[in-house]
Amino acid sequence: MDFSFYKLNCELEYLNNSKCESNMKKNVFYLLGIIFIMVSCYPDGPEYYEDLDVVYTNYSEDFDFNSNNTFAMPDKIVKIEGNLIEGEDPEFVQEPINSQLIGQIESNMTTKGWTKVEDPANADLVLFPAVVTNTTVVYYYDYWCWYYPYYCGWGYYYPVSVSSYTTGTLIMSLVADGENYVQPSAIWYAAANGIMTGEYNTSRVTRAIDQAFEQSPYLDTK
Amino acid sequence: MKRIIVLAIFTILAGTITLFSQDKSHFSINYDMSFGTGDLGDFISKPSFRGASAQYRIAVKDNILLGVDAGWNVFYEKKEDDSYTSGTQTISGIQYRYQNEIPILIAADYLFTADKKIQPYVGIGIGAMYTERIVDMNLYRFELSPWHFAMKPEAGMMYEISDKTDLKLAGKYYYGFNTEDLDSQGYFTVSLGFAFQL
Repeated sequence: MDFSFYKLNCELEYLNNSKCESNMKKNVFYLLGIIFIMVSCYPDGPEYYEDLDVVYTNYSEDFDFNSNNTFAMPDKIVKIEGNLIEGEDPEFVQEPINSQLIGQIESNMTTKGWTKVEDPANADLVLFPAVVTNTTVVYYYDYWCWYYPYYCGWGYYYPVSVSSYTTGTLIMSLVADGENYVQPSAIWYAAANGIMTGEYNTSRVTRAIDQAFEQSPYLDTK
Repeated sequence: MKRIIVLAIFTILAGTITLFSQDKSHFSINYDMSFGTGDLGDFISKPSFRGASAQYRIAVKDNILLGVDAGWNVFYEKKEDDSYTSGTQTISGIQYRYQNEIPILIAADYLFTADKKIQPYVGIGIGAMYTERIVDMNLYRFELSPWHFAMKPEAGMMYEISDKTDLKLAGKYYYGFNTEDLDSQGYFTVSLGFAFQL
């Protein structure tokens, strides 16, 4: 820092009084000290994985949930890993995690008044659970070809308003098809971001599933 | 990056003021505690204990001072797990909310008792206030950073503790007017610091 102008002032006004420069330096020192303290105590953000848990839901306002009350659901959670090779089955979430999650989802649907049926062709809606294992934003119906051939060949869609996922996001979609929806359409969508990454924690995942249903009161058919 | 630029402006401003100071002038540095009001108070209800300000004043009459103010206050609150709905979309989780307020103002003070050991005063400032509002949720960050036209009434007192140094205690209210991006932002500040006669 160039103190020459200040020194000149000091010399003129105080006849070379050394206190002048020392006072100025002290003031700057105090100011820099305060700025340093403020920067160093800038508030921290999340400390634990759980602090980052976020559950997102969205639904179609055009769909009348109250006039539907049956659903079907595969007993395996697929891993979405990008383009699925035609004719091949997807990867699935391993047991016993798979069964724990399927049970939790089914329990929430039942609590909301929905009745599970085995054949998706006879159900009002089909619930697709999936885990995204990369950062894809594309969601292929072909992932459920193995479960219900009706969904083969419908291509993909972009889940609403979610610009990106983190690896390990759990996705649940309620899909309508049939008379009003010849092309399958996701009329409810839930994403629990990143909860299937790192060390698997049952309580974290089940809490996220419960939260997705809790913040979707329109699913209640009772 | 913006924070660094503002910090640099703050430092340069304060340094320049110090370097170019004249007779019957003072420079003060203060620790600020602030409490958000209105929209800011709704966004972050917790008070801010992270704040500082610098003031430079030069006497144009015995009891009238003109100068500049610069400050920095950091508001922060961790909002516990909650749901936020917009249209058909709902998102739930923990939110980390931050708001930085950086006012840079031209100011004038009126001293009720000039050249006394205790000098009560009132003042007003007019200028700009930079707001940086951040909401962190998971890996998502929502950020707004408008500049407001700002005003600041102030009342306080200086207490002489030596020939060259006064203790300074003040209450201030910073008010940034509406912008396109953000409603008006206001906060009350209690400020304690030292004024150095230059």
